[in-house]
Amino acid sequence: MIRIFSVVFFCMMSAVSLAQPLTANQLFLKLRARLDAVKDYEADVSMKIDIPFIKVPRLKGKLYFKAPDKMKLERNGGISILPRNGVNLTMNNLVPNADAAVIDAGKGILNGKEVRLIKVIPANEQDPIILTKIWVDENKILALRTETTTRDNGTVKMDLDYGRFEKVGLPDKVQFQMDVKDFKLPKGVTMDYDGDTKPAAQKATAGGRKKGRIEIDYQDYKVNKGIPDKVFAEKRQ
Amino acid sequence: MLRLELFKIFKRPRTYISFGIVAAIALVIELAMYADGKNFINFALQGINEQFDMRGNILNGYLITYIILQTLLVQIPLLVALVAGDAIAGEASMGTLRLLLTKPQSRSKVIIVKFVASLCYALLLLLWLAIVALGLSVLIFGAGDMINLKSDAMVIILKDDVLWRYVAAFAFAALAMATVAALALLLSCFADNSIGPIVGTMGIIIVLMIFSTLDLPIFSVIKQYLFTTHMVGWKGFFDDPVPYKAVGTSAMVLLVYTFLFLGASIVWFNKKDIQS
Repeated sequence: MIRIFSVVFFCMMSAVSLAQPLTANQLFLKLRARLDAVKDYEADVSMKIDIPFIKVPRLKGKLYFKAPDKMKLERNGGISILPRNGVNLTMNNLVPNADAAVIDAGKGILNGKEVRLIKVIPANEQDPIILTKIWVDENKILALRTETTTRDNGTVKMDLDYGRFEKVGLPDKVQFQMDVKDFKLPKGVTMDYDGDTKPAAQKATAGGRKKGRIEIDYQDYKVNKGIPDKVFAEKRQ
Repeated sequence: MLRLELFKIFKRPRTYISFGIVAAIALVIELAMYADGKNFINFALQGINEQFDMRGNILNGYLITYIILQTLLVQIPLLVALVAGDAIAGEASMGTLRLLLTKPQSRSKVIIVKFVASLCYALLLLLWLAIVALGLSVLIFGAGDMINLKSDAMVIILKDDVLWRYVAAFAFAALAMATVAALALLLSCFADNSIGPIVGTMGIIIVLMIFSTLDLPIFSVIKQYLFTTHMVGWKGFFDDPVPYKAVGTSAMVLLVYTFLFLGASIVWFNKKDIQS
């Protein structure tokens, strides 16, 4: 009788413990572990860059990533352009390492889905990231949105849509919104044509920093196949 | 008669000085870019490189051609003036103008033929520029996506989308050269010595170009009426999207000036008392 009671009690306790929602810290560690599982990938991408002072058509190419922060866009001899200064277009780079303080900011709805919002503050005071807010789909352990406040490069917001590559935790589509500084060259040097369309810079909000957007559509991934470092070593021009 | 005028232009050794100058400037820029172009690009892209990592063949033939065209913005009109300014005044100083007019053709026709001959020279000069600037630069530096740096923006044009823009830009430049040729011809009608119209044309272009380039409010009202402001309309083809309306307006302004100068030349030349 005591044995039966013990088994029933153990089962009940297990069920209770399983039903317990993850703590914010556990959730973050699980998410971080999922990100860390992707050591490298190469993907065919289509990139739309909407920066106030850059006019560029949609770029297609191959995006290479290698943890922790190597990234390169290759465009068959064409010009590629990616953000720099430590804030590159990878979630690994925008979500602090496991050594961080995690604050539970409750639940919410994002694009019709229930999400947990956690705030992550890196333990290292020298970390380029000050704070990252992550909207997490608890069931799938997927970050649907991040908002990272950096020390030197303003705020980077990232919206992620998952689909075909959800199993490996990689998005089909990512939209970044970031702060960009103004760009100016003397008119005497560039000898602008006055008939030009209204300068793109004027369309943006006033002030030293403006908002820029980058949208990446991932067509295909090859994950953890091993990418040599020399792929990223191309001399910048 | 046109053949005769072309023969006169191309038999003079000084005609070929212009071709030599264009080739020399293009080659010097190409050599300089070959030797130190990366530093130049890094300097020009400083503001962008701080925030973005740009990779690929940025310093390619298309960009070098754009730099050459920008540099030759002032020089080419001066070289056109060298020939067009000599068209009537040169004949007058040599004493062959009266002889020319003894032939059974109207004075208006003489002016038009002189203008067309000067225009042919200008077109050949532009063709030569296309060969030494675009052809040679692409040969040396290769083709690729082109960047166009403006005072407040950077335009990236994909490789496959560049060539037609150069064709359009050279066509527009031809229109601008027609205006310069017409101006030089007009001044040439007033003089009996070719130095005056050549220097006069150069002077007018340089002064008006300063007005057009200086970004001062005092000039902003008159700027839009100066033909030199519209001579850089070829740059519009390297914007995205191309400001067709503005480029079209610039082309119209240049056409109006060309016909105005040509008309004034015809009127003046018909009334002129030819004494030499």
